[in-house]
Amino acid sequence: MSGRTLWKGYIQFSDFNVPVKLHTAVKQERIQFHLLHKRDRVKLHQQMICAYEKVPVPPEEQAKGFELEERKYILVDPAELEQTDPEDGRMIEVHEFVKAGQIDPVFLERMYYLEPDTTVKEYNALAGALKETGTVGICTWTMRKRSYLGALQINGKVLCLSTLRYADEVIAVKSLELQKAPLSEKELKIARDLISQLSAPFQPQKFENEHQKKLQALIDKKTRGEKIALLRPKHLKPTAPDKLLEALKASLEKVA
Amino acid sequence: MALQEIWNGTISFSLVAIPVKLVRAVETGRVSFRMLHSKDYSPLARKMYCPKEETIVHADEIVRGYEIAPDNYIVITDKELESVSPERSRTIEILEFIDIKEVDPVYYDHPYYLVPSKGGEKAYRLLVEVMGQTHKAGLAKFVLREREYLVAVKSSDGALTLITLHYSGEILSGENLLPKEEKTGTEEKSRMKKIIKEMTAEFHPDKYADERRKKITKLLEKKAKEKGTVEAPELEEEGEEGVVDLVAVLEESMRKVKEHG
Amino acid sequence: MSKKIVETAGRKLSLSNLKKDLYPSYGFTKAHVLEYYRRAADFILPHLKDRALTLKRYPDGTEKDFFFEKRCPSYRPAWVKTAEVHHKEERMTVCLVNDLETLIWVENLASLELHVPLARAGSPETPDSIVFDLDPGDQANILDCSKVALILRDLLMQMQIESYAKTSGKKGLHVYVPLNRKEATFVDTKRFSKAVAEVLQRNYPELVTAKMAKEQRTKKVFINWSQNDPSKTMICVYSLRAREKPVVSFPLEWEELEILDKQGDPDKMVLMHSDAVNRLEKNGDLFREVLTKKQKLPHL
Repeated sequence: MSGRTLWKGYIQFSDFNVPVKLHTAVKQERIQFHLLHKRDRVKLHQQMICAYEKVPVPPEEQAKGFELEERKYILVDPAELEQTDPEDGRMIEVHEFVKAGQIDPVFLERMYYLEPDTTVKEYNALAGALKETGTVGICTWTMRKRSYLGALQINGKVLCLSTLRYADEVIAVKSLELQKAPLSEKELKIARDLISQLSAPFQPQKFENEHQKKLQALIDKKTRGEKIALLRPKHLKPTAPDKLLEALKASLEKVA
Repeated sequence: MALQEIWNGTISFSLVAIPVKLVRAVETGRVSFRMLHSKDYSPLARKMYCPKEETIVHADEIVRGYEIAPDNYIVITDKELESVSPERSRTIEILEFIDIKEVDPVYYDHPYYLVPSKGGEKAYRLLVEVMGQTHKAGLAKFVLREREYLVAVKSSDGALTLITLHYSGEILSGENLLPKEEKTGTEEKSRMKKIIKEMTAEFHPDKYADERRKKITKLLEKKAKEKGTVEAPELEEEGEEGVVDLVAVLEESMRKVKEHG
Repeated sequence: MSKKIVETAGRKLSLSNLKKDLYPSYGFTKAHVLEYYRRAADFILPHLKDRALTLKRYPDGTEKDFFFEKRCPSYRPAWVKTAEVHHKEERMTVCLVNDLETLIWVENLASLELHVPLARAGSPETPDSIVFDLDPGDQANILDCSKVALILRDLLMQMQIESYAKTSGKKGLHVYVPLNRKEATFVDTKRFSKAVAEVLQRNYPELVTAKMAKEQRTKKVFINWSQNDPSKTMICVYSLRAREKPVVSFPLEWEELEILDKQGDPDKMVLMHSDAVNRLEKNGDLFREVLTKKQKLPHL
C-alpha cells in the first residue's frame, strides 16, 4: 500500500511537463510514551511559560520576536512574515542533472513517491531516461508555502522526489577538527581484508525492529504486575592504539 | 570546538572497539524566532505543566508512562528501558559491511557524525580510510533513548557519518502507484535522454540558497531600523554570597581611592 | 565593475570596486581602507586571532545601509579559517581572521568595522579580559568618560589589577582588564563588572550610572557591564569605525589620558587612520598586554 496524495504538480524541464502526484514513502509506527507527574501520574502538557511572571501564557497573549541582542527583540507580525512566504506554484523545475551517487546521503531529507497524473506515457519516458542515463534531476518547487530543493530519481520503475538540505544546513566535517593519525600499510591491508570478509549484500529485510517487540513485551509484563529484571548496559573496552594491529589480526583469524 | 554530544559509547567491528561520540551533522537554517509575552515582552519557554495542580513541573518530577487504558498509565523507568537491549545501548556493533551504492535512498532517515573519544583516534582513522577506499558502509543496530535504530556508518570527507535507516517494514511500496499498462513514449524518452545529457553537471549544493530565509533576514533588518526593538524586563538574579564580599572589597578600595585623590 | 587580482602569501584574491568611496564626505576609498588594514595588520591580527568575527558591512559606504554578518559567508575562499560556535542555541560557522589574506578578504567585503567577542572561539565561556564599556549619555562626552576611566583605573589598582584603555572610535572609551587564565567565566566577569559599575554609581551618582535606561543616562556615563557576555562583541582595537571620517578605535596610555583630561579638548581624543598608522609604527602595540598579562579577580 502507499500513502495518500499530498500534493500535485508538474515536473518541468526543457519543453516537457510531466504531471505527478506526491505520496509519502515511509510510514513509522512507534510505541508512544507520555510524560507524567511523578507523584500522582497526571499527564503533563507543554505550556508556554513567561520567564518573568512564571505563568502559562495563552496563545492570544503570545507575540513573535527575533532576539537582536540580549533581552531586545524585533517584534514580527505574523501577517508580515506571511509576505515572505514563497508564491505557491505547481512547477517542479529541474535545473540540472547529476550522476546518481554524487549526492551524499547527508543531504537527503525526506522521500516522496511520484504517481503519474493524467498521462503515463511521459512519466514512463522520464523514468526510463533517468535510468538509462544514470542521472538524478536537481529541482526546486514550492509546496504549502515552503520552497524546496530536491532530487528527482528513479526507484525501480517509480519516480521519487527527495527533499535536499541546503548546503549551509550540513555541518562541515572540517568543524569536527578531526586529527590525523598515522596508519601502517599493514594495518590498512588487514582492515581491508577483514571488511571484505565481513561484507554482504544489503538486505534490509533481514533486520527487524526487535527492540520494539521486546519493549512491548516489557510493557505487557509490567502491566501484569510482574517484576522486571534490570540489566546493566554492556560497555565494550576500547582497543588501545598499540593493540590495534593485534586486534585486527585476531579478528581476521576469527572470520577467515 | 566542542560539539554537543548526543550519545557516547563504542563502535565495534569484529574484535576492534572504538570509543566515539555521536554529534549532529545538520542544523536547520531556519531563522529562529522567540515567542514573547505580548504584555511585557518576556521570552516564553516551553515547560511541562500539570493541569491539575496548575504548576510547572521540573525534570526530576517527571516520569515516562505508557497508556494502558484511558488515563491509566504504567511507568517505565530509564533503567528498565535500558534493560530492553542492554547490549545495544552503549555499543554500535557493526554486523556486516555493505556496498553503500546498494542502499536505496528511500531507506535514509537522519544523519549524524561520529567523532572519536580519547584514545580512539587511530582506530577511527583506520575505519574512515578503509571504508573510504572500499566504498563500504557498516550496518549496525543501536539503541538511542526509546528507540532502536538500524544504521549505516560510512566514511565521508574523512569523518564517520552515521545515518539512521528506516526498517524495511516502514517503507511503503511505490510500484502499485503505477498503472498496469506500460506505455512509454519512446520518442519522448530519446529526446529526454539527449536533453538530460546536455543538462548534466557536477553536484554543487551550495549553488542553491533558501530564498525565504534571505527575505526574512531583510524584513528583520527593515523592522529593526524602522521600529527598533522592544525590551524584556531583566530577571532577578538569585542572590549569592560571593557578591556581598566582592562589594565590600570594592567599597573599601573605593574609599581608599577617594582618600588619596 | 573594477576588479583586481592580488596575491598575498601565495594566495590569489580578487579585489573589487577599489575606487568606491566608502567614506564619501571625507574621500576615503576601498583602496584606502585596504591600505590602512594592510599597514595595521601586524598589530590588529593578534587581537582578532581565533575570535569569531562579526562582520559589519557597508557595501555602499558609511552613509548607506550596513548589515551585520555573524555567519562566515559560504562563498569564502577555502583557506579562510573558520570555527563552529553556538549563538543563541543556534550553531553557525564563523570566520577567524588569523592572517593577512583573510583580513584583506574581509575588508574587500567592505566590513569596515571588525567586532569580536571577549573569548576565543575554542573556549567560548572563558573571556580573556573584562571590559568596561564607558558610554556617555546625552549632554555628556568623552571627557566625562575619561574621568570615569581614571577612577576605574585607581579602583582596580587598589586591588592590584592593571587595566588598559582605548577609545571606542565613537564617543566613548573602553577599559580592558586582562585575565588570560581561562579560569573566570562570563558569569564571573559579568558579576564583577556589574558590582564595580554599581559601586561607582553609588560613589559618583552625578557622573556614573550602571543602568541601561536612556533617561537615566543624561549627563552621565553609562558603565555598560553587560558587554561581558558570550553573545556580545566589542569593536576590535585598531578597527576603523564607520563614521563620517575614518576614525580608529585606539589605545591611550593612562598618562596621556590624564593629560588629555586636563586639556579638556574632546577632539584630541579622536584618532584618525593616519595618526593610528604613525603611532603604531612608532610605539608598537600598546594593547599587547591585554592579550598576555595574567591576572586574577578577587573573590572568585
